[in-house]
Amino acid sequence: MINITNLEKVYRTDEVETIALNKLSIEIKKGEFVAVMGPSGCGKSTLLNILGLLDDPDAGSFVFNGTEIAKYNERQRAELRKHNIGFVFQSFNLIDELTVFENVELPLIYTGVKASERKQKVDEVLEKVQIMHRRNHYPQQLSGGQQQRVAVARAVVNNPKLILADEPTGNLDSSNGNEVMELLTNLNEQGTTIIMVTHSEHDARYSHRIIRMLDGQTVTENILI
Amino acid sequence: MFKNYLKIAYRNLMRNKSFSLINISGLAVGMASAILIFLWIHNEISYDQFHEKKDRIYEAWNRDVFSGKLQCWNTTPKVLARTLEKDFPEVESAVRVNWPSSFLLSIGEKNFAGRGNMVDSLFFDMFTIPFVKGNSQTALKETYSIVITETFAKTLFGNEEPMGKTIRIDNKDNFTVTAVVKDAPNNTRFRFDYIMPWSYLRKQGNDDEYWGNNSTRTYVLLKPNASLASINEKMKTLRKTYDSDEPKGEMFLYPISRWRLYSKFENGKESGGLIEFVRMFSIIAIFLLLIACINFMNLSTARSERRAKEVGIRKVVGASKFSLIGQFLGESILIAFISGVLAIIIVQLSLPAFNKLTDKILFIDYSNAYSWLFFIGFILFTGMIAGSYPAFYLSAFKPVKVLKGTFQKTRALITPRRVLVVLQFTFAIILIISTIIVKEQIHYAKNRETGYDKNKLAYMFIVGDIEKNYELIKNELLSSGTAVSITKTSAPMTQGWSDTWGIEWEGKAKDDKTDFDRFCADDHLATTVGLQMVAGRDFDLKKYNTDSSAVLLNESAVKAMGFKDPLGKTIRDNGKEWHVVGVFKDFILQSPFFPTKPMVIEGAKGWFNVMHIKYNDKNNMAANVKSTEAIVKKYNPMYTFEHQFVDDEYNTKFKAEQRTGTLATLFAGLTIFISCLGLFGLAAYTAESRIKEIGVRKVLGASITSITSLLSKDFIKLVLISFVIASPIAWWLMYNWLQNYPYRISIHWWIFLAAALTSIAIALITVSYHAIRAAKANPVKSLRTE
Repeated sequence: MINITNLEKVYRTDEVETIALNKLSIEIKKGEFVAVMGPSGCGKSTLLNILGLLDDPDAGSFVFNGTEIAKYNERQRAELRKHNIGFVFQSFNLIDELTVFENVELPLIYTGVKASERKQKVDEVLEKVQIMHRRNHYPQQLSGGQQQRVAVARAVVNNPKLILADEPTGNLDSSNGNEVMELLTNLNEQGTTIIMVTHSEHDARYSHRIIRMLDGQTVTENILI
Repeated sequence: MFKNYLKIAYRNLMRNKSFSLINISGLAVGMASAILIFLWIHNEISYDQFHEKKDRIYEAWNRDVFSGKLQCWNTTPKVLARTLEKDFPEVESAVRVNWPSSFLLSIGEKNFAGRGNMVDSLFFDMFTIPFVKGNSQTALKETYSIVITETFAKTLFGNEEPMGKTIRIDNKDNFTVTAVVKDAPNNTRFRFDYIMPWSYLRKQGNDDEYWGNNSTRTYVLLKPNASLASINEKMKTLRKTYDSDEPKGEMFLYPISRWRLYSKFENGKESGGLIEFVRMFSIIAIFLLLIACINFMNLSTARSERRAKEVGIRKVVGASKFSLIGQFLGESILIAFISGVLAIIIVQLSLPAFNKLTDKILFIDYSNAYSWLFFIGFILFTGMIAGSYPAFYLSAFKPVKVLKGTFQKTRALITPRRVLVVLQFTFAIILIISTIIVKEQIHYAKNRETGYDKNKLAYMFIVGDIEKNYELIKNELLSSGTAVSITKTSAPMTQGWSDTWGIEWEGKAKDDKTDFDRFCADDHLATTVGLQMVAGRDFDLKKYNTDSSAVLLNESAVKAMGFKDPLGKTIRDNGKEWHVVGVFKDFILQSPFFPTKPMVIEGAKGWFNVMHIKYNDKNNMAANVKSTEAIVKKYNPMYTFEHQFVDDEYNTKFKAEQRTGTLATLFAGLTIFISCLGLFGLAAYTAESRIKEIGVRKVLGASITSITSLLSKDFIKLVLISFVIASPIAWWLMYNWLQNYPYRISIHWWIFLAAALTSIAIALITVSYHAIRAAKANPVKSLRTE
């Protein structure tokens, strides 16, 4: 599904040049659940941004579903992103002014799904993450775990082929964290590819494979199953 | 999707109530000002544009050299209309409209005053004035017919049928109402209560065929497809054919589309006119709106950090830049809509005052679809302008940056926000400076020596039986102790009704066309009005019975005539001889902003329209007026008593300038208000975003004063930059404005200093509220928020 080769990304400020990705090559197959680990600054967030089409690489190849997309412009990336990729963030990133239902509905609106169909899909997915009873609440009225479940619901409502999770349990206590991890595992079992950045060995064990990074390169890969 | 935008927009409005309040009130005030000005502009540019035949309607004008200058004017000989119809096949009809007359109208025992014109019978054929009753064919056919407006019909007859009713004119002639027309709209030069046929004017002996008597206005309707250029070419030589006195004078036809806005001529060519005001007002309207929009832009972008996360999330879940621009524009249009509705309320509430100020009858025509279309367009336009910059700014955020907290606000020296604040204050300071200068100029002209004593001086027009009973009225006023001195004059002291270049004197050069103001007075003029005599004496018929042909000259006239010893000299005017008995100091007859002209005041053999009364200051003024009314009523019972004080009348000379001054003050005030609203919001934002810095500084020992000044300093800098930009612009604008007035102030440096101090003070007061609040806050709290 994803095949990146010799990927490079360099951040420059006036005086400092930081190499975030250094000729990185990774392959991820359809249906895999991959955890990316490594110390702060190793480049794992940069990798996730590029995989999520939020950022573009400076050099190298990025093949997504058989198409080379490293040179895509922002509009092309946005188009590809909204149909294929869902995101889960450490800080949930829900829109405070929208209710639970409206937050989850958002991706469907942008892909042009009809209102009646939207309602059905949103309700379905809210049911799945067991937050249906809070559908008309605002994010501030929910606990962290509940917020992250809403975020997961939002990430999957469009049936994306790939879910990118950036430390999804980072702001949660362990029981809430486990709930979210169970949710992701279920999704993966239903066929969604998941790439998750994490600091937690515990969470990483939910995955099939752990990629460990240092200074913009992969150091080891542990296959767990 | 739209519903979603609306929802977010609404919730954002409610969440940030103070920002919403600032945005909405600023925009509402800006929009209301713009709408008021648009109403005024619309009224001006639509003047007389509703006549169906407007493409073919013209007014006859003259062009000739006077006092060495090529001048244009629009009064014509009465004989012109028929001549045009006779000589020019292109002319369909020509219609004369004489000056408004003020007949006494009586129905039975009741008397009425009204304003009416006498016109040629095709008047209603040329101009579109809808008939309620009767028709244009028969309305003015008979000499004793009268056409009245709907409102005037109500005044005269109440709810009775007016058609066929009789109105007695000046107590001698009976007129029949032949038609009722709609009241004139608020955008026409033809304002009347009644219209009477020209044939009545002829019957009274007031028509003439004399080409030298430019005494009426002549309107011309050309045939379709007639060429204006070829007619105007022929009209150049019209006077050569008919006018032996002034054969060099040219005439031309002037189109209806230019009457209102362009008819100010200089050296024979159009030069400015009302259109300059229209342009200036348009600019002011646009700027007021822009300033309000700038508030919205600045506050929206200042708060962008709060919205950044939302933008990031929306992008991540699939929003395109385009749809985000749409969302933010939608929000600004929603705010513009709320503001627009408020603006309409403000306009409706302030229209009476604005109408009084502009001397107009403006209103919003709610029944007109175009009004609504304009209003909707105006809201969309305002929303787009206000929202465009924030929309592009916000939608350009990169999700990676805003969601990962690396979002940095700029610390650049020149940011768009600062540029916009400078723009606002530049405009405000220009208006402040202009306001001060306009007020100074009025003050300066008001303090100018008038040249006579306006105090306790009143006048009334000689109407009805006053002429016949003049001596009786005069004697009774004097003997009763009401008045101390009385004189008859040709015109009020404050108005020049007559001027001539035909005065002859010994030693006059052949080509001398010096224009003299011509005034007449019968007796004791200098005593009555307090002229300052520099040589000779006042008219005194009792002592010198030859004084009926005496003349007084002002100092400028003596100079123009080159007299070394003017007393006893003889001058001629219009075939009559006058001997000089006195010289007086120039007085202001017309505009206090212009130099006085040479002037002759001819004695009792002249013509008289006005009676001037110097009241006895031993009596209470109200008692004086009351006793005058009783006396005048006794000898002129048919007419209502009307009477003016000269100093009130003199003050109206400043009306136009005072209006300019009031408008400048108003616009300056509005600009300052809107700009300060924005500044207030920005100050709140700055204080909030620097809260940690303030906390650290306080912990390190900074005083409240030093922090307040730290926060205010930036804004004061912007105001100072604005001042530097505004000063030369304001100077240039006002320098040009002052050129309209030969008697004018020079622009002093202190005006600029005052404007600078005022604007800094206003900005400081605005900013300091938030600055002091932030400075006083407990640092422990502010440091904990991070």
